[in-house]
Amino acid sequence: MFEKILVANRGEIAVRIIRTCREMGIQTVAVYSDADAIALHVLEAQEAVHIGPSEPGQSYLNGERIIGVALETGAEAIHPGYGFLAENPAFAAAVEAAGLCFIGPPHPVIRDLGDKTKARKIMESAGVPVIPGTKEATTDADTLRAEANRMGFPVLIKAAAGGGGKGMRTVENPEDMREACISAISEAGKAFGNGAVYLEKYLLHPRHIEFQVLADQQGHVVHLFERECSIQRRHQKIIEESPSPVLTLAVRESMAKAAVSAATAAGYVNAGTVEFLFEPPDRFYFLEVNTRLQVEHPVTEMLTGLDLVRLQIEIAAGNPLPFEQRDIMQRGHALECRIYAEDPTAQFFPCPGRVLLYQEPQGPGIRVDSGIYQGFEVPVEYDPILSKLIVWAEDRRAAANRIIRALQQYPILGIRTTVPFLMDVIQSDAFNKGETDTGFIEKHFKKWSPGGQERDLAGIAWVADTVTRDHISRGFQETGGIPSPWETLGPWSL
Amino acid sequence: MQYELAIEGETISLDFSPAERENIAEVSTGTGKYLVSFQAVPGGRLHLVIDGQAVEAFVADTPQGKHVFVNGRTFLVRDTAHEPARKRRGSKDEIPEQVTPPMPSVVVRILVETGHHVTRGQGLVVVSAMKMETTLVAPYEGTVTRINTAVDAKVAPGDILVEIKKEDSGDG
Repeated sequence: MFEKILVANRGEIAVRIIRTCREMGIQTVAVYSDADAIALHVLEAQEAVHIGPSEPGQSYLNGERIIGVALETGAEAIHPGYGFLAENPAFAAAVEAAGLCFIGPPHPVIRDLGDKTKARKIMESAGVPVIPGTKEATTDADTLRAEANRMGFPVLIKAAAGGGGKGMRTVENPEDMREACISAISEAGKAFGNGAVYLEKYLLHPRHIEFQVLADQQGHVVHLFERECSIQRRHQKIIEESPSPVLTLAVRESMAKAAVSAATAAGYVNAGTVEFLFEPPDRFYFLEVNTRLQVEHPVTEMLTGLDLVRLQIEIAAGNPLPFEQRDIMQRGHALECRIYAEDPTAQFFPCPGRVLLYQEPQGPGIRVDSGIYQGFEVPVEYDPILSKLIVWAEDRRAAANRIIRALQQYPILGIRTTVPFLMDVIQSDAFNKGETDTGFIEKHFKKWSPGGQERDLAGIAWVADTVTRDHISRGFQETGGIPSPWETLGPWSL
Repeated sequence: MQYELAIEGETISLDFSPAERENIAEVSTGTGKYLVSFQAVPGGRLHLVIDGQAVEAFVADTPQGKHVFVNGRTFLVRDTAHEPARKRRGSKDEIPEQVTPPMPSVVVRILVETGHHVTRGQGLVVVSAMKMETTLVAPYEGTVTRINTAVDAKVAPGDILVEIKKEDSGDG
């Protein structure tokens, strides 16, 4: 087993990895940029090394520097977390070349699965269903029309050379197909100098359901069931849960089998996630493989009782999986929501700044993975994720009630967060009924404004706070106690 | 005591009459009348009992007013009566008169130079906060007289990044 691991990340995920390392008796090295000198991951690691300016390109994305720090500090392995360098095959290769261990899949696997067409080919050959589509791009509208009729509408026309929506059309009716092809081909030709387009079946509002897989170096592959992550804002997952409210036992089994086949076919090692688009009642299509630990991995940990980071480290160290598929159980219901420094009352604008008051919720079945603390200045340079609140309960209803209770007892003051929005989503009828799909926010929460019910309460609290402040400080003087900064400080300045 | 409070931009008047016993008051707002007992707890916490119902609140002072957290929702509450006059000028919906970022951010690009003529709504400076870019625009037509920032500079609300000499184009 490793004696020392470098964690090449920041924020909540770096903290989460460091905690498991400590429990395993492994020393940790944190790396940090200018903006993160007193960030939580720096405070919790046994060693911390400054790697550069706040700009991610010069710090957390500077692979050469990070590998250099690992060598200087004597770390034997690098855990990349998610984001930054986690899915960069060149970085993984450089780590190996430096004689260190990359805690993740082998770099050729990261490369293959990161290439959409290559990944699609691997999945097709393994019998994993992919989104139906044409294999060859063409500029012949009649060929495309015939293919679309075979595939069934709606279809999506995409430019072979494409990107940025140029040459892209959604076609719902067969009679519009010819015209749409001609205009897409012409647009693609003008934009890319190549008018060739291809077709993909268009899924209107699929669900996003993914399977956690684990594979060891000895060739054992298991799955840890699904996570449904259909509730997304701007293609960003915001609420994740397991089990999915929509999968039957039989469908779950066939998706799990496909996920294991996908991992096996790709030669996968370590923890990974096979993402599918799901159309009820039972159709699913391969979307992609995330070759790293996911943001939402705690959902699976709560549900299965396993520590994915520990298993990642064990696998990277060459140990075989300590269990078999039949030992892994899905128990109860787990629900996670991501808390971002964004103002939901102002188009979800990022809201960096100082956290003036911070208190985490407590109680059975509650887990907070956080990268912040009271007094921390949330930097402007990075992703606005502050923390993740994860709950476990006996069933979905109880989990939803528990996460609402926890959010009601999770004050984060000084900056704006997405908490009120998340509460309204989880308390909505559609969510309660499990009617979640990737169009959920667009359909139910396009126009959202915070509820006004608590407005009077906020006013009353304001007055009570104003009139009691004097009493508190007097009380402290009488008893000789030390006033907290809340009593002595004037207004903070940012 | 009568208070005029701006709660998330909405103004309410709140009447607070202390009862005989300490920490108990009758509070009336435009929408309701409440009997409130209140107890401050160190750490920015307040224990309120409003018409027999316990309510936990957390309060923090910010430069803009108090952030009040009740039942998972955070409100910015300001006392409009005791506010400096300059803060009360202008409403939220108006285009800001000054070229200043809405939040702490980093300057990514500067789109104009001193001496440039700009029209109302023209982009001047692109700032970035947490991977999201925002373009600050000219509040009115005029000539750029001064640029007070540079690419990569850290800027905060209140910093005037670009100064423009106004030219009257009839839209005020």
